[in-house]
Amino acid sequence: MIYKKDANFPYPVFASNVKTYLKNDFQIDLDINEDEKNFIFKFTEFEIESDFIKQLKEERKLQFILIIQSKDNWFTKIESPNDEITVPKNRLSLNNRTLIQVHIQAIESINFRNNEDLIPFYDAFKEEITVRKNGLIGYSNVLVLEGRFRKPLEIFSKRVDENLSSEIKIELGNETIELVFKDANYQFGELPKSSGLMLPYIYMGMQKALYQFIKNYGTEDSVELEYLDEPENLLDLKIFNLMRNKNVDELSIDNVDEVINQISDSMIGKYASTVREFASDGN
Amino acid sequence: MEIKLLKKEIDQNQLFTDFLEDRIEGNEEYFSNETVFVKELKLFPIYIAKVDGVEREEMFLEAFHVIETYYADLDREILLNGQFWRTLFLTQFRDELLIKYPQIEEEKGFNNIIMKKFDWENYVYKCILAVQYVGSNCSSEEEKLKRYKLIIDNLDLYNYIIKYEIFRNDVFLINVLDIIDEMNLSKQLKAKIKGIEGLGKDERYGRRVIYEFNKSYPIVMSPMMSKEDLKAQFIEYLSIYTDVSHLKEPVH
Repeated sequence: MIYKKDANFPYPVFASNVKTYLKNDFQIDLDINEDEKNFIFKFTEFEIESDFIKQLKEERKLQFILIIQSKDNWFTKIESPNDEITVPKNRLSLNNRTLIQVHIQAIESINFRNNEDLIPFYDAFKEEITVRKNGLIGYSNVLVLEGRFRKPLEIFSKRVDENLSSEIKIELGNETIELVFKDANYQFGELPKSSGLMLPYIYMGMQKALYQFIKNYGTEDSVELEYLDEPENLLDLKIFNLMRNKNVDELSIDNVDEVINQISDSMIGKYASTVREFASDGN
Repeated sequence: MEIKLLKKEIDQNQLFTDFLEDRIEGNEEYFSNETVFVKELKLFPIYIAKVDGVEREEMFLEAFHVIETYYADLDREILLNGQFWRTLFLTQFRDELLIKYPQIEEEKGFNNIIMKKFDWENYVYKCILAVQYVGSNCSSEEEKLKRYKLIIDNLDLYNYIIKYEIFRNDVFLINVLDIIDEMNLSKQLKAKIKGIEGLGKDERYGRRVIYEFNKSYPIVMSPMMSKEDLKAQFIEYLSIYTDVSHLKEPVH
């Protein structure tokens, strides 16, 4: 459904890669955020260079359609580029390569006699050009997302150090939060449900990393994330991206637990269900 | 419950033998580090070929119902992840599947049913899209059931629509199903086309209408058209291949 070809249309089409309009720029860009159940899209750029097209939109003779293509196609009408667009996560996945584009569709048939934005070639006969109802008037650039959402567990690594003086130590490395265990058994390596039982350690690791983040970048006991420059330290950058992707605006000593919840897909909830399962196994 | 996913690259020959001898679940070598959390698991018909009539309809409806009830809340990246389903088939559902589909004891059956590529030809993929597409466009149980039956009764056309990336979309599918229902076109669209030069041996009217839509996209933005406009265009394309003068609006 995303249109990428350079193929010839039988009439002038409004698009940046087509030379039939003199003023042919149509550029979009989006911010993507998420909450627990939905993705939320907001345009950060929506530039249409043609006055003819803008006028037709005012007159409600055409409509904008946002298309998101991942494993299949999802589309919606856009009333205004200022609107937020919400899509449930069970309907759309952004973990695979995702393409996004805006199409312009004619709501009624549109004649081009008043189109002053075409190249001179069309002057002589533009009044004979009519795009039928439901026809494509133009399309924007294609945004490509290469699976940008990462899972929190990639921020963690684990290792064993028999010389530890305590059973477990959480170290903030340059790239990951390191869970160091004195005894290999402590990381539940052998039990089949190991990943779930690691969650309390992951929670502790996140707490430590977030307190450090506040110390490094905050004033007093909090950090406003919206205006923070991207951290240079790789681990801090991962945590920063994680928080921004999940719509966290402020991190403070007081709301660390809340933020962990927001960024960790109900970490504790999963832990609880893993433990319950063990109990019913009779082990 | 936590499901540890199998690795993507597995030695296929060894896999079949290990499957038969139940040596996959206990073998760490097969598993990746990825895990998925699912509330509850339940098996449903994963292969619905070579069955007819009532039995076929029941199998599809059971698949739709179980997917809707047990799996529909999963994030899409899991739901449409072939690796996730293959893991379930090869481990949690192994025993049940050996009973329900004895043909998987032969390598040919195993490859065709358990290891089938996860795309439009795979029955689980077909059913998941059906559940999602019907679910996001129907509010009542009657409406859902009606659309499910339309998919089952027009499966060849459904396959064609989800095969083409352009039309793999819920709104377009539901509109086409409704058009077929409202104008009683099911039988016509399934019929083989005879007497037209240049077409292959097994062309059907329904497939050719979708082919025409494919050709004219995006000059004709068919997925974004209203149902009424789409209906008119649908009849126009059908008229290329057959006489449509007998088609009237039905009395519902």
